Amino acid sequence: MITFEAVTKRYPDGTVAVDALDLEVPAGKTVVLVGPSGCGKTTTLRMTNRLVEPTAGRITLDGKDIREQNPARLRRGIGYVIQQTGLFPHRTVEDNIATVPVLNGWRRQKARDRARELLTTVGLDPALARRYPYQLSGGQQQRVGVARALAADPPVLLMDEPFSAVDPVVRSSLQEELLSLQRELQKTILFVTHDIEEAIKIGDLVALFRPHGKIAQFDTPERLLGAPADDYVAGFVGFDRGIRRLSFFGSQGLALSTGPVLSADTTVAKAQAAGEPWILVTDGGQPRGWVQADSLGGHPGDTALSQVPAEPFGHTFTVGTDSLRAALDAAVLSPAGQAVGVDDSGQAVGVATFDQLRAAIQAAERTADEDAADNSKERAERAESAPSQPGAQGAQSGAQP
Amino acid sequence: MIWSWIPQNWSLIWQLTWENAKLGVLSALYGLIISVPLGIVAARWRWFYPPTLTVVNVVYAVPSLALWIALIPAFGLTDTTVIIGLTAFSLCVILPNVVAGLRAVPAPVTQAATAMGYGATRRLVLVELPLAGPVIIGALRVGVVSSISLASLGQLIGVSSLGYLFIDGLQRSFPTEIYVGLVCVIVLAVICDLLLVGVRRLLTPWQPHRQVALAQWPGLQHVALRRRAA
Repeated sequence: MITFEAVTKRYPDGTVAVDALDLEVPAGKTVVLVGPSGCGKTTTLRMTNRLVEPTAGRITLDGKDIREQNPARLRRGIGYVIQQTGLFPHRTVEDNIATVPVLNGWRRQKARDRARELLTTVGLDPALARRYPYQLSGGQQQRVGVARALAADPPVLLMDEPFSAVDPVVRSSLQEELLSLQRELQKTILFVTHDIEEAIKIGDLVALFRPHGKIAQFDTPERLLGAPADDYVAGFVGFDRGIRRLSFFGSQGLALSTGPVLSADTTVAKAQAAGEPWILVTDGGQPRGWVQADSLGGHPGDTALSQVPAEPFGHTFTVGTDSLRAALDAAVLSPAGQAVGVDDSGQAVGVATFDQLRAAIQAAERTADEDAADNSKERAERAESAPSQPGAQGAQSGAQP
Repeated sequence: MIWSWIPQNWSLIWQLTWENAKLGVLSALYGLIISVPLGIVAARWRWFYPPTLTVVNVVYAVPSLALWIALIPAFGLTDTTVIIGLTAFSLCVILPNVVAGLRAVPAPVTQAATAMGYGATRRLVLVELPLAGPVIIGALRVGVVSSISLASLGQLIGVSSLGYLFIDGLQRSFPTEIYVGLVCVIVLAVICDLLLVGVRRLLTPWQPHRQVALAQWPGLQHVALRRRAA
């Protein structure tokens, strides 16, 4: 756990980069610092490994004041990833990754073996081990940067806009991989970005900074979107935050109708009798397309629906797995204004109208608000009962070689 | 041009070339040995650099013969006098490039090194100096070539070098000797330069642009450019 207590950084020219910051990064969680440039987020990150020394206040790592530790030693226990990768151009990929283990006194061969292992962990071919950084693509370099930060298995990772310099497709896959790595490794991560989308995707908690080093809101991504503290936060998260917040709500509670779902061998007469304005025609259970009831009049009653031209259904959502955002998007893109829900094997389960979606969204919001209320009560109680718990946390930090 | 003169005086030519090489190469090496620590200090403490550079430049402005004459009372008509003078001149080429090379190490790289837990000394030795290496070797090439050329003038104060062939050839009105001296100086300079290019290639397998060394050679530029265009 990393704690900032009233931390201020004032530069000699009077600029205040960080202003009396209080922040807690829980062990094993990812906290994202996000805000406009010059808001002090990077300074905050760099104070954590003493690349920048605070003017006032205290930063503790697992209960221990970082000023009491030798800076070089402290840094070897904290992984560091930056946007420009900072890879050593004169060292091979494996030697770059082996940097901290070698500094910690490992034998070179053991450190290189570890490096090759890590290449696989970050999704790179171990055959790249003998290459030099200039021979890699931007995305590959960034992965090597992550591997290098993980090499000595530090409990804490600092990441300063690590994915900002790569193209959107690579960025998205790097984000996904960080998420899956983090599920496995449970590091305490402090992550800086200027991209609110990235913050919402990566963070367990997001600290949104105002200019000049004040936190505007420190909350879960879902609460940041759902309950912005003020106009500044609302403006920063963007005008479509209501829709983006739906990413955090599952579609399992969404009511589905099966009335409009008919198989391709159903006759036109039967379809008209169903009394639905739009019919979803399925073929072996898979959605095939939408047919408007009004258009059926021109066809003889005994024609199978498979003979009637259908309109494309856009995309479907997987019930339970996909979020309400995906379901809503499916409804928006559907000619019938209804979202097609499928199961894991792609079989149509039912369709949802805007009304059904609205009901599900409102129910999900109620649940989220109740959870949030519970959490804040819990947090307040915890703060009262245990002002600090260095003992239990300190044991973890001792694991560093 | 009397070709038969060459084989008849082979051992003289060889000896003078060797002595000239020794003077030139040693001067450039001493220049490097002095420039690296000075450059490290100048790169770290910026105030140190401008006055140092001024001194080095002023020394460079002194004609070599005048500098040697000034050194004669202390060191006599010896190799030492010539080498001290040439070393002082080579500083003017090498020192600014050591500083430039160290300053050109990308900030994210030094920052990452610090954040990995390198102390200042280890970072300097293991990261900054290796990265400044190509620039420093580039400067050393110029330093060696100019030192070899200037070393021939050592003959003016009686220190044996290829300059002997110029002076002797002039006094005897015997151009062959002068041409041979000229060719020897140039060949020597080119060989030393190419050796340094080789050293640089060996030391920097991590550098992306291999043709650059070739392109620095006047006259070969078009070759390198054509190859790059192809």
